[in-house]
Amino acid sequence: MKDDLLFNLDHGYAEGLCRGFKSGILKAADYHNLVQCETLEDLRLHLQSTDYGNFLANEASPLTVNVIDDRLREKTVQEFQHLRNVSYEPLSTFLDYITYAYMIDNIILLITGTLHQRAIGDLLPRCHPLGSFEQLGAITVADTPAQLYTAVLVDTPLAPYFIDCISEHDLDELNVEIIRSTLYKAYLEDFYNFCKKLGGITAEVMCEILAFEADRRAFMITINSFDTGLTQDERAKLYPTCGHLHPDGLQELRRTDNYDAVRDVASRYPQYKILFEGSGTNSGDKTIEDKFFEHEVKLNMNAFLRQFHFGIFYAYLKLKEQENRNIIWIAECIAQKHRARIDNYIPIF
Amino acid sequence: MTLCQLFLQPDAAYSCISELGELGIVQFRDLNPNVNSFQRKYVNEVRRCEEMERKLRFLETEIKKDELPIYDPEDNPDAPKPREMIDLEATFEKLDHELKEINTNADALLRNFNELTELKHNLTMTQGFFDDAISHPVGVMEDVGGEREMELGGQTTTTAAGMKLGFITGVVPRERMVAFERMLWRVCRGNVFLRQAEIPELIEDPVSGEKLHKTVFVVFFQGEQLKNRVQKICEGFRANIYPCPENPHERRELAMGVMTRLEDLTVVLSQTQDHRQRVLAATSRNLRTWQIKVKKIKAIYHTMNMFNNDVARKCLIAECWAPVSELDRIQLALRKGSEASGGGTVSSVLNRMVTREQPPTHHKLNKFTQGFQNLVDAYGVATYREINPMPFVLITFPFLFAVMFGDAGHGILVTIFALWMVLKERSLKDKWRNQEVWTIFFGGRYIILLMGIFSIYTGIIYNDVFSKSLNIFGSSWRVRFGDDTLAKHDSVMLEPTPYNYTRSGDYRQMFSGTPYPIGLDPVWQLADNKITYTNSVKMKFAIIIGITQMGFGLFLSLWNHLHFNHRHAIYLEFLPQIIFLACIFFYLIILIFYKWTSFDGSKATDAPSLLIHLINMILFSYKTDPPSAAVFYTGQKQFQTFLILLAVLCVPWMLLGKPIYRIVMNKRRANYSTVTNHAAGNDSDVEEQHQEEFHDPAEKRGVVLDADVRDTDTEDMLDDEHSHQQHHQHEVEMSEVWVEQGIHTIEYFLGCISHTASYLRLWALSLAHAQLSEVLWHMILHLGLSMNGYGGAIASFFVFMPWSSLTVFILLLMEGLSAFLHALRLHWVEFQSKFYKGEGYPFVPFSFRLLLDEAPVEA
Repeated sequence: MKDDLLFNLDHGYAEGLCRGFKSGILKAADYHNLVQCETLEDLRLHLQSTDYGNFLANEASPLTVNVIDDRLREKTVQEFQHLRNVSYEPLSTFLDYITYAYMIDNIILLITGTLHQRAIGDLLPRCHPLGSFEQLGAITVADTPAQLYTAVLVDTPLAPYFIDCISEHDLDELNVEIIRSTLYKAYLEDFYNFCKKLGGITAEVMCEILAFEADRRAFMITINSFDTGLTQDERAKLYPTCGHLHPDGLQELRRTDNYDAVRDVASRYPQYKILFEGSGTNSGDKTIEDKFFEHEVKLNMNAFLRQFHFGIFYAYLKLKEQENRNIIWIAECIAQKHRARIDNYIPIF
Repeated sequence: MTLCQLFLQPDAAYSCISELGELGIVQFRDLNPNVNSFQRKYVNEVRRCEEMERKLRFLETEIKKDELPIYDPEDNPDAPKPREMIDLEATFEKLDHELKEINTNADALLRNFNELTELKHNLTMTQGFFDDAISHPVGVMEDVGGEREMELGGQTTTTAAGMKLGFITGVVPRERMVAFERMLWRVCRGNVFLRQAEIPELIEDPVSGEKLHKTVFVVFFQGEQLKNRVQKICEGFRANIYPCPENPHERRELAMGVMTRLEDLTVVLSQTQDHRQRVLAATSRNLRTWQIKVKKIKAIYHTMNMFNNDVARKCLIAECWAPVSELDRIQLALRKGSEASGGGTVSSVLNRMVTREQPPTHHKLNKFTQGFQNLVDAYGVATYREINPMPFVLITFPFLFAVMFGDAGHGILVTIFALWMVLKERSLKDKWRNQEVWTIFFGGRYIILLMGIFSIYTGIIYNDVFSKSLNIFGSSWRVRFGDDTLAKHDSVMLEPTPYNYTRSGDYRQMFSGTPYPIGLDPVWQLADNKITYTNSVKMKFAIIIGITQMGFGLFLSLWNHLHFNHRHAIYLEFLPQIIFLACIFFYLIILIFYKWTSFDGSKATDAPSLLIHLINMILFSYKTDPPSAAVFYTGQKQFQTFLILLAVLCVPWMLLGKPIYRIVMNKRRANYSTVTNHAAGNDSDVEEQHQEEFHDPAEKRGVVLDADVRDTDTEDMLDDEHSHQQHHQHEVEMSEVWVEQGIHTIEYFLGCISHTASYLRLWALSLAHAQLSEVLWHMILHLGLSMNGYGGAIASFFVFMPWSSLTVFILLLMEGLSAFLHALRLHWVEFQSKFYKGEGYPFVPFSFRLLLDEAPVEA
C-alpha cells in the first residue's frame, strides 16, 4: 500500500512512458497486414502507418533485412535508454540488471568469434548495444577464463557471476557454452533475489517471469546437452535454481537422457505440460522453443495488467524484442520468397 | 454541405484533383478503407514520391551542414504534370549521385587528413616524452624500474641485461584513457610503462568524424608476448596506433613528411569543398520549390488512392463532401482540370448524392473570425447545422473579459500590442513560427485586439486608469465644509441631499444633482467606502449580464429546435426552461432596475436588500422587521408566491414531458406499423418520418425524390429520436431516456442557480484586478512620487522600472490570462450549455495550402 502511494513520486513518469511505448507494439491487425506484403518496400510502407513512423524513411532503396534489423534494434535501444535516463533508484538498478543479460551475450559472442579467428573489428558492431561496456573490446586478450576474469570482467557488474567459472582451463567451444550457462544461472538467481528484495508487486510479477526464464533454461540446457559428453553432474550445476522446477524437477531433469524423459518431467508441472503437449518435432508443428516464446509473451503481457511495479519495463523490452524478431522473420520470409512459413511469427496482442 | 460523386477519367483525374487541391473546398472520403495502404492503385507513385522526398531531405541536411541559406520560393508552384515527375526524379537522382560521390571523395580525404593530424600530434607529443627523458633521465629511469643504462631518446633502448624495450604509440579518446590504463596494468601485470599527454584541441576521429578530446600515449614494454597483448588491448579500445620511428632523425623526417602531406591535403580538401559548395548552392535555390512540388504530387496520388476504380466504365469514382454554395467553382475546376490533361473527350461528371450520414461541419471563416471559432471548436465542433455560437462569442467574449479586466490604462497597452500584431501581420506571419507561445498570441491577435478595446471601454465605465480616476468632465460633488470642520475630522461624509452640517440652519448642497456623464464619478477615488459602493454596482452588473446571456442562450436553443423541427422540444424543454428563468431570475433583474430607479438618496435607508428578498421569496417568509426586508410594493407577496409556484411547476413539466411524449409516440408508431405491415409496404410511413426528420432543406428535396432508396432496413441508422421500431429494444430505450432526461433536468435547474452565482466571478475578478493595480501603485510608484525635490525625481526613475514590469507581468499577463480563462469558462459552461451540443466533426478539405501550412518543411 505504501509502495503504491509513493510509486508515482519517482517512477510515475517512467511508467507512463513505458506504457505509452507499449501501446505502440504492433497489433494482430498490423501483423495481418505485414504478412500480406509482397516486397520489403510494402513492409516499409506499412510500418510507416504504425508507431514506427518514419524510422526507415531515410534508407535508400533497395531495403535489406539487415538494415531493418539494425533500425529496429536502434529504436528499441533508444527507447530503453531513454527510460534508463529518466529513471530513479531502485528502478535504475533494475534496468541495469536487465542489461546484464546482454552483456553476457556479448561476451560469449566475442569469445566464440575470436575462437573462430574473426577480427574484433567485425565482431564489435554485432554486439548488442544494450550490453556494451568499456572493456568489451579487450576481451580478445584473454586466453583462459581466469585471465578473462582478472583482466576484463573484474570491473564489470558481471564479476561476481564469473567466480564459478574460473576453474575451467581453456576456452573451447563447449567451455564457452558452459561459461554462458553458468553466468546466466548466477545472473538469473541474482536478479531473482534482487526482485524479491524489492518486494511488493514487482517481486510478484518479476519472480514469476524469472522463474519461467530459469525453468526454460533448465529445459533447454537438458535438451541441448544430449550427446555432448556433458555429464549429469556438470549439467546439474548449470540449472538456475530460482524456478518452479527447483528442487525436485531439477533433480529429475538431471537424470533424464532423452527428449521423452524431459517431457515426462514437464508433465508434472501443469504450466509446462501444456507447452510440451502443444509442441512437436514434425515440420508443421510448433517447436518447443516457440511454445516457450509464446508463454513468455503471455507472462509479459500479464505484467501490464498490474500497476506500480517494475515488471513492465522488463516485459516491455522483452515484448519489443519479440516484436523485432517477428518483423525480421516476416521480412526474411518476404525477402527469400519463402511465404509458406511466414505465419510462424509469435503474435503478441 | 452535400455528398458528391465524381466520375473522373483516369487520364484527367490527376489534373482535376490538382485543381481541386488548389481550390481546397472538398473533403474526399476514403472509399477503400479495407484495402491496405500498399495494395492501393497508385501506391507506386506514392512510393516514388517518398523516394524523392528522401533525396530532398538528404540534400537539405547536406545544405544545412554547410550552413547555406535556403531560399523560400515567392510564388506557389503548381503541382507538376505526371510527365514532369520523371524529369524531377532524374534531376534529384543526378544531384543525389553527384553529392554522394563528392562526399565519398571528401570523406576519404578527410579521413586521411584526420589520421595525419593525429599522427602529427602523436609525433610532437612523443617527441616531448623523449625529450623529457633526456633532460630528466633520473626520474624516468626510476619510473621504468631502475633500468639505468637505458638510452631513452636514442635508438633501440637497451637495458642492463641487454634486453630490448619496445614501444607502441597511439591516440585514444580521452574518456577511455582511465579504463585503458587500468586494463594495460592488469593484463600485463604492471610490466608496462605508459606515458600520456592530452591533445589540447578537439580532434576529428578518422572513423566516425566526430570531434573528440583525445590523448596521445606511449607504452613501453618488454618482449614479444606483451607486445601482442598491448596491441590487442589497443584494438579493443579502438585506439589508433601510429608508427613512430625510434630514431630521432627519422622522427623528424616523418614529421616533416606529415606536414607537407597535410598541406597538400588541405588544398585538395578545400577544392573539394568548393565544388560541393557550388553544387549545394545551386540546389538550395530550388530546394523549397521542389519540396512543395513533390508534396503536391504525393498528396494527389494519396487522394487518388482513396477512389474507387470502376474497371467496366474505365473511370475513377470519388466521393466527397462539398459545400453546396461552392459547387459551381468545383465544376469549373473540374472542367479546367480535364482541359489541362488534354485528352478531354469525356469531361468529368459531378453528381450530388443523397445520404443519411451526418455531414462534416464547415464554417466560412476569415482571419478575423478564425480565432473566435477556435475558441468555440476547442469545446466541440458544432453538430451539423446547429447554431454556431461564434458570432455571439465574437462580442460577448471580449466584453466579459473586459468586465473582469476593466482598466483603461491596461486596456490601452493590450490594444497597442494587438494592433502591432494586426498591422504587421504580413511580416510577422512567418517569424518565430516554432515559438509555441508566440503562435498562441499571434493566432489570437484579433481576440486580443477586441479584448483591449473593450477593456478601455469598461475602464472608462469603472473610471480606472492604472488604478487612478480621470476627472475629465469635473466631478458632480463639491466639498463645501469650512476649514475648521475639515481640520477637526479625519474623514467627512458627503451627503447626496442638502444637509445641515453646522446645525445652524445652513443647508449645503454637495451633490450637483446631475450625475457624472460617463462612468464612475472620480470623487469616489477619495472615498473610504469606494469598495463597498463598487462591489454593489459590479455585483449587480454581473448578475444582469449573466442572466441576460443565459436567457439569450435559451433563445438560441429555440432557434435550434425550430431549425431541426423538434416541435415537442419547444413545448417540453424550451418553455419550462425559459419560464423558470423568467420567474426567478428575470424578476430579480427587474427588481434591480426598480431599486436603482426608485430609491434615491433621501430614501436610501429604506431601500430593500435584494439578496434578502430573493431568499425570503423562496422561503415564502415575509418579515417586516428590518425595513430593508419589508415588502415594497403592494401585492408583492401574492405575486412572488405565484412566480415561485410557476417555477416549481416547471420542474416536473420538463422532467416528465419528454419521456411521456416518447412513450406516446412509440405506442402510436407501433400501432401504425402493424397496420401498415398488413397493408402493402410502408413507404408513406417512412416518407412522413423523413419529412419530419431531415433538417437540411437540400436533403429534404432529396428525400422526396429518392424516397424509394430508403427502405426499412436502414431505418435504425437514423438518429435515435424516432428510429427504434423494434419492440424488444423498447424497454431498455425508455429507461435510458428517463435517466437522461432526469440528469438533464437536474442539470438545468440547479445549473440556473449555480451558473448565476458563477457569473459573480465577473465582479470578483474585476475587484481583484482593481485592488491589485491599486496596491502596485501605492506600494511602488507612490514611493517615488511622494518624495519631494530632486530625490523624488531620481526615486521615481528607479521605481518606475519595477512598477512597469510588474504591471506587465502580473496585471497584463497573469491577470489577463486568468480573466481570459474565466471568460472562456463562462462561455463554454454557462452560455453554451444552454443550446450547444458540439457533436459534429470538422470539414477538412483537401487543400494544398493547408497541407503546406500544416507541415512546414521540417528541419
